[in-house]
Amino acid sequence: MPESKGDGAKPFDPFEPFRGVRDAYLDAMSKSMIDAVNSESYAQATGAMLDYCLTASAPFREALDKAMMQALMQLSLPSRQEVAALAERFTNVEMRLDDLDAKADRMLHAMAELSEARSAGKEAKQAPVAPKHK
Amino acid sequence: MQAAVPSLEQALAFQERIRTFSRVVTSKAAIAQTPKELVWALNKARLYRYVPVVGSQRRHRVPLLLVFALMNRPYILDLRPGHSFVEFMIGHGFDVYLLDWGSPGFEDRNLKFDDYAVEYLPRAVRKVKAISGSEVFSLLGWCIGAILTTIYAAMRPHEGMRNLLLLTAPLDFSKREELTFARWTDAKYFDVDKVLAAFGNMPGEMIDYGAKALKPVDNYITNYCKLWDNLDSPRAVEAWAAMNTWVTDKVPMAGAAYRQLIVELYRNNALMRGSLHIRNQRVELQRIEANLLDVIAEGDHITPPCQSEAILDKVSSADKEIFRVPGGHIGIMAGSGAHRTTWPHIEHWLASRSD
Repeated sequence: MPESKGDGAKPFDPFEPFRGVRDAYLDAMSKSMIDAVNSESYAQATGAMLDYCLTASAPFREALDKAMMQALMQLSLPSRQEVAALAERFTNVEMRLDDLDAKADRMLHAMAELSEARSAGKEAKQAPVAPKHK
Repeated sequence: MQAAVPSLEQALAFQERIRTFSRVVTSKAAIAQTPKELVWALNKARLYRYVPVVGSQRRHRVPLLLVFALMNRPYILDLRPGHSFVEFMIGHGFDVYLLDWGSPGFEDRNLKFDDYAVEYLPRAVRKVKAISGSEVFSLLGWCIGAILTTIYAAMRPHEGMRNLLLLTAPLDFSKREELTFARWTDAKYFDVDKVLAAFGNMPGEMIDYGAKALKPVDNYITNYCKLWDNLDSPRAVEAWAAMNTWVTDKVPMAGAAYRQLIVELYRNNALMRGSLHIRNQRVELQRIEANLLDVIAEGDHITPPCQSEAILDKVSSADKEIFRVPGGHIGIMAGSGAHRTTWPHIEHWLASRSD
């Protein structure tokens, strides 16, 4: 058995001898699969599969929704739609608050500018007038 | 004859390799590390300002607002320390802001491009201007973010936008034979209303599958082989882990916005045809006058180059440029060569237009 090599030697990887073959195979598969997914038949197949899954699950989803609505009503709890509607109203209130915040910012900015202009005006008035030379 | 039997040390090292591989694939990397502060929020949207590292005297006067897609996390722009577009730009004296759209819930299923482009984005811009003290700003939109920023630029051309940067912008859907997504979402095959009736929003898992299915072998097999082959390189592992963290952080897309994307854009090409209406107002691309940099990824399979070229003929900007970069949809900004190609070009272009 050969002695193990010191630090810096390449670690043992049983897949190393096959790397070239692997890469060539994956390259070929990649090109082939890209062509496949770009085809009309793939689009048709995935569309059909999705449609089938949604159609098949629809009755179960509807039954679950109905049962959930009834359970929530009996527990006097809001439904998903009701909570969502409340959240939408919160967002509208948030927007109004944001607009008010922006208006307040503009007012404060205008007041600050006015205050600066007044201070500058006062300083100009109080500055000593240079004597006239005869 | 000696058999190639590994030593005990080699076997243990191989076992450790498998453990490392497993750990990297299943854990989250530390990403989005550039210091920032939250400066504004609305619903799920968050506006962040990155802490400047250059003194105000040496900083560019015009702030930069980054807008990414609706269905992915925006920290792709700040992936990891030492390899972050945000870090690069603030290091070059830009005042950088990031708009994070957040993750829409069931209550956001009716949000459309109208809401994002003319309600959320203008408010974020207003905040950027208030904080920066500048009446003009630069806007960078990437992927779906480029659609939103383009719509905003056309709807509100006089709100101070000086520079508009579009990265891999899916704006022109006329060459349908070159668009795989257009084929998959054709009305013959894809009932978008049925999907949205079932889920409300478009699930992040389905969006993720759609993006990965464009190159299934590369995304589901080769990607992991690359990690295995480079496990001995800490830098390569770090880069892989950061990207994997981002890719696996899936975000749904608001149902109504997704419907607009499929029906009005992918199927009808309404934006380029001039028939897209936002808040009952036609989006007229010729109203865009801001300086325009259109960055195209030549190897982009998600947004092929043909989708981003026609915009230059539609806008009224006097200063406009196409910059073609070798690379993919995400790679041109987050890949290993981005700091040598895309970032310096963006920085250089923007620097001369930001004072």
